[in-house]
Amino acid sequence: MPKSIVVDPEQTQSAGRLAFAAVDLHAYATPFADEVEARGGAQLRAVLRHMMIIREFESMLASFKATGAYAGIAYLYKGPAHLSIGQEAAAVGAALGYRAEDHIYGSHRSHGEFIAKGLAAIDHLDVEALEAIMAAEQGGAVRDAVAHGPGGKAHAERFLLFGFLSEIFMRSNGFNGGMGGSMHAFFPPFGAYPNNAIVGASAGIATGAALHKKRAGSSSICVAHAGDGSTGCGPVWEAMNFAAMAQFDRLWADKGGLPILFFFTNNFYAMGGQTIGETMGWDRLSRIGAAVNAASAHAETVDGTNPLAVADAVARKRALLVAGKGPALLDVECYRYSGHSTTDVNAYRSREEMKAWEAQDPIALFAAEMTGAGVMDAAEVEAMRADVAALIEGVTRLAVDPAVAPPVDVAGDPTLIGRKMFSDQDITLGGPIEGLSPEGSATFRQIKRKARFGIGPDGPLSPLRAVTIRDGLYEAILHHMTHDARLVAYGEECRDWGGAFGVYKGLADFLPHDRLFNAPISEAAIVATAVGHALEGGRSLVELMYGDFIGRAGDEIFNQMSKWQAMSAGVLKMPVVLRCSVGSKYGAQHSQDWTSLVAHIPGLKVVYPATAYDAKGLMASALSSNDPVVFFESQRLYDKVEQFREVPEAYYKIAMGTPDVKREGSDLTVLTIGPSLYPALAAAEELETLGLSAEVIDVRSLVPFDYAPVLASIKKTGHLVVMTEANERGSFAMTLAANISRFGFSDLKAAPRVIGAPNWIVPGADMEDTFFPQVNDVIDVVTSEFYPSKRVNKRGIRNWDDRDLAKHGL
Amino acid sequence: MSTPLLVPQLGNEITEAEVTEWLHAPGDTVEAGEPLVMITTTKMAMELEAPVAGVMGAIVLGEGEIAEVGATLTVIETA
Repeated sequence: MPKSIVVDPEQTQSAGRLAFAAVDLHAYATPFADEVEARGGAQLRAVLRHMMIIREFESMLASFKATGAYAGIAYLYKGPAHLSIGQEAAAVGAALGYRAEDHIYGSHRSHGEFIAKGLAAIDHLDVEALEAIMAAEQGGAVRDAVAHGPGGKAHAERFLLFGFLSEIFMRSNGFNGGMGGSMHAFFPPFGAYPNNAIVGASAGIATGAALHKKRAGSSSICVAHAGDGSTGCGPVWEAMNFAAMAQFDRLWADKGGLPILFFFTNNFYAMGGQTIGETMGWDRLSRIGAAVNAASAHAETVDGTNPLAVADAVARKRALLVAGKGPALLDVECYRYSGHSTTDVNAYRSREEMKAWEAQDPIALFAAEMTGAGVMDAAEVEAMRADVAALIEGVTRLAVDPAVAPPVDVAGDPTLIGRKMFSDQDITLGGPIEGLSPEGSATFRQIKRKARFGIGPDGPLSPLRAVTIRDGLYEAILHHMTHDARLVAYGEECRDWGGAFGVYKGLADFLPHDRLFNAPISEAAIVATAVGHALEGGRSLVELMYGDFIGRAGDEIFNQMSKWQAMSAGVLKMPVVLRCSVGSKYGAQHSQDWTSLVAHIPGLKVVYPATAYDAKGLMASALSSNDPVVFFESQRLYDKVEQFREVPEAYYKIAMGTPDVKREGSDLTVLTIGPSLYPALAAAEELETLGLSAEVIDVRSLVPFDYAPVLASIKKTGHLVVMTEANERGSFAMTLAANISRFGFSDLKAAPRVIGAPNWIVPGADMEDTFFPQVNDVIDVVTSEFYPSKRVNKRGIRNWDDRDLAKHGL
Repeated sequence: MSTPLLVPQLGNEITEAEVTEWLHAPGDTVEAGEPLVMITTTKMAMELEAPVAGVMGAIVLGEGEIAEVGATLTVIETA
């Protein structure tokens, strides 16, 4: 909605016919002799050898899965093996077109992609650089495990294959420390960024990585490797659209599209569903490029059984991307001889079809070209095959040997995996970024005029006169935006509008587009790109307009943002803050408190402040953290002025995980999550008139959480109420109550009581008071369950029979 | 004839707004629909436009002052 782009009715309503940029099919026609001339025999031999290495590596895995043995080595491999036998030319051809500094993000069927990229990087890098990389990896442990044998690049090849296989076998010296396995391997120094077990998930992540490359002014590219089946995934479309946003060219100061290649390895099957003719509408995968932008995303279909056709296409797309013409899309057709997994019995394809494709075996075809052109003779091809088999056998013997590749010792160190969930690292901010001054911003000046404490002589001040939660968030974000050039903020309506709830109001006055921009309504892409941007060294602050939209970014939050630190054994960092506004007055799909849902997922820090002071300090902590943080904000509280203490104008941080006593008392403890703080405080005032003194503690953070202040409180009071606006069933409030019952059992005089939302939908605005816990509910529960002698009936609505409701699914 | 420029009703929970910037000075000739003043509520900033063409009168509420919904910010004099 920038005013510079005018929606002109004359132009939009003019008649005409849309034309689509043409998409080439199998345009590669370079004679092999010309390739020999241009590339030289050594490079072409490497192409053949790399394909053979992938084939032998995967044949080894297939053999272990099928027979428990390979080359006389017995080994029970329990993990997955999604093999790409038959697809080697696509992987090796692609890698031939990449540079070492290009970054690939893989699919679940990614052994070939990973090995090909690694081998190509070894070819590109000099021995000195390779030795430095091997020395840096786990203090040289992987290098030393494969030290026996020829040195230099041959050593680096064994290093690559061993680090990868050790990871597949979940050994402690695998590239992910054994925390990733077959579908999650990565090795950034060779440009092999994480593979992904979720189909199509790399599309959004690689797009975010490309966003970082664009911002960094890099002349390298990112690649999302995915299969043909992933074109049925919404997040893949979201990623392609995000990558093609017109603003990169029209609004950003540094013009040009994202340097991202969507590389679809098209083996014609989405597991068993047949993409052409059955599960998709397209007749050619490359057709979908026409839906992306006027350039049809430079889409092409290429022959994925010929590595040189693939390399040619990749090199041409790469040139376009580096010139700022991204995104680009390749449909790389090839055939998977192996099943989807080792339990696949090929029920979905005919013998005739499989036989027809046997004649297209990329390795046999390429070997025939090589011998036909006189680059190699048949004996040399066989010698190469034998040499590759010996290489894989040697690496495999080492990877199955527990003395060389020790298993992860979880039995000896039971919380080992737990300690990999968070880095618990904070960055230190530098000085202010030059040329970024908020002084001219009306919002900045307006907040400067406000009182720093919200209670005046006549009671609470209006939110225009005192600092609110919105202002606290703004101040922390402003400080980070003006002191941390790596930080980028985006989401829906974040720029000109200032966010739907005005937290970014006025920031667009002085922040350029590449620091603050409007995203499409693509929650999956918003979070996935934030993840990719962070994996590359950026820092991401993204917003979901409503917490209810978390469902639209489910995989991205629950599997990607949350898990890459642990799945990389802490090598990767995830500085992503995801702001989620919790709605109010908007009914069942716009007013839900989903903090419990998020707190359930390992690997996410979860905060939900309820005061301006806490909001500012916790946001500063979240933005300083290298861990992913889901930051909940209540729409009902944005205008809340601070009533507990002065909000410092200066920058400060509040550590995540520290509950805060907001009111002291001696007869009961009320532990609150989010906005429940305020009815709890009002109830405490009323209970005082009944002679009951309530202590009120605000959790502030759900993950992490320090139980000590709460246990100290119940030692004094003996009674606990936990208040939440989340549905009670399965809620974090229930977790708190259960744990406090265990940790503080001897101090409790009665069972703790959770007062949450009932297990039905949030009703419309006029009925909300019957849903979210109210003051009278607290008073009724406390006086009837903890202090019957003081029983009053304030007609709180929560007098229903929870056991009976449970029988009805409520 | 004089036409007042009022602080508009901006949603059922907004009761006041702050004047953040005057874009014209008293005595300026303005067109109908021309932005005259920026105001800000807690949630949003917006430009208020001249309701009619004419000459802008005195500023009733200056930058930094908080106005109730319905308050007069200035008047436009027409011949």
